[in-house]
Amino acid sequence: MKLGYYPGCSLESTAKEYDMSMREVFKALDVELVELEDWNCCGATAAHSVDYLLSLALPARNLAIADKHGLNIVVPCPECYQKEWSAGESLGADSELLEKVNKLIGNGLQYEGNVEVMHPLDTILNNIGIEKLSQKVVKPLKLKVVPYYGCVIVKPPRKKKFDSAENPVSMDRILAAIGIEVLPYDLKTKCCGGPVMLASEEIMLKLSYELLNKAKTAGAQCIVTACPLCHLALDAKQINIEKAYNEKISIPVLYFTQLMGLAFGIAPKKLGLDRNIVSTEKLLKSL
Amino acid sequence: MEEPIRLNECDPDFIQEVAEAGGKNVQLCFQCGTCSGSCPTAYAMDYTPRQIIGMVNLGMRNEVLKSDTIWVCSSCYTCMTRCPRGVEITKVMAALKSIAIKSGIETKNKKAPAFYKTFVEVAGTYGRLFEPMLFLKFALKAEDSLTGSIARLLKDAPFGLELTKKGKLAFMPSKVKNMQQIKKIYEIALGENK
Repeated sequence: MKLGYYPGCSLESTAKEYDMSMREVFKALDVELVELEDWNCCGATAAHSVDYLLSLALPARNLAIADKHGLNIVVPCPECYQKEWSAGESLGADSELLEKVNKLIGNGLQYEGNVEVMHPLDTILNNIGIEKLSQKVVKPLKLKVVPYYGCVIVKPPRKKKFDSAENPVSMDRILAAIGIEVLPYDLKTKCCGGPVMLASEEIMLKLSYELLNKAKTAGAQCIVTACPLCHLALDAKQINIEKAYNEKISIPVLYFTQLMGLAFGIAPKKLGLDRNIVSTEKLLKSL
Repeated sequence: MEEPIRLNECDPDFIQEVAEAGGKNVQLCFQCGTCSGSCPTAYAMDYTPRQIIGMVNLGMRNEVLKSDTIWVCSSCYTCMTRCPRGVEITKVMAALKSIAIKSGIETKNKKAPAFYKTFVEVAGTYGRLFEPMLFLKFALKAEDSLTGSIARLLKDAPFGLELTKKGKLAFMPSKVKNMQQIKKIYEIALGENK
């Protein structure tokens, strides 16, 4: 299988380990990821907060590039994923808007509406399949974790949805298939406050503290996430949260692809496990 | 709301303005409050999401655009997911942010508009986000004085350093090659709506 790959800005920087583990895991699952040529920033929450047309044209340029190469794209960052599929849906439903946006992109690039935008959770579950995934497991992981989806992997529900918006289970199923015990976690889709991290830090600290605290109380050895921004809030900002709430938490936060890689027998360094801010060393030793 | 609502000061075209800025179906709201009950940041808002939607329907343009609510919204889409009437609440919030920014209205919250503007500016410079520049420019824009900006940068320095140590902050930006195309998108999109 060959798929277009849209890493997005975070996976080149703050979420480097998500990118590394994503590429490793897909290689192990015999999927060829072709990085989208000359992709641009999707605009995230900021573009629409400044201009609606800009918020459509930025993701549409990426869709047009994928269209030109005849590729469907897999998008690991939920913010980018949501911006890409939702631009596709909005433009697909409004030919006038599509024409306007295509004029904006110009330069021989046109979005024709042929690109399927997928989140890797969807791809792994529905295109690759649990069976194939299970075959690749050489080392089932004896771990207890809580799965944290964050907001926009499943919200708002798209026409072609792959999981529930209120109680998603796709990541739970993947983790269970690699031997992990997935603990009940009723905050799995509650916002971490990541998008307001810089402008209203105290909101992020409060929302993320709740998530960390509940994960700890549940007895989780780590939190598993699929979002660079949630990861930044829960992992890189954990020390600030500990200070703000005067409480030692020290819970590692891993990307689901890092755990998949470990179960596939891939070396921790190749999965970027030395790049998580809260140390993953103890967790790795326990395996 | 302690102040009386003055209908003669309301803007009957506001719903249309919001719809054109990407926030549709406001008029379908029947004020059930599912949005407010679902909102993770409602506790920090001056008006709840339900109130904001009601105020948009009444055309209370000034009050809505000056409110802190639109900037506290973290765009989690829970309200929009649960709305029984199909009001695109999260997109309405984004539309309101964009109208507030474009109209140059004096907002109570200075940091959030500064963040969104800076993000868009940095992503427009390189075609991709370059975090060190985002941190720097945001600190300069969000604070009233240079001393404030320096204090913010110093406060965030350990965070940046930690990310750098782990190889998670680049020193050089990753750039789009066809920057002319990005510049054109920016020029036309931002120019047309001015």
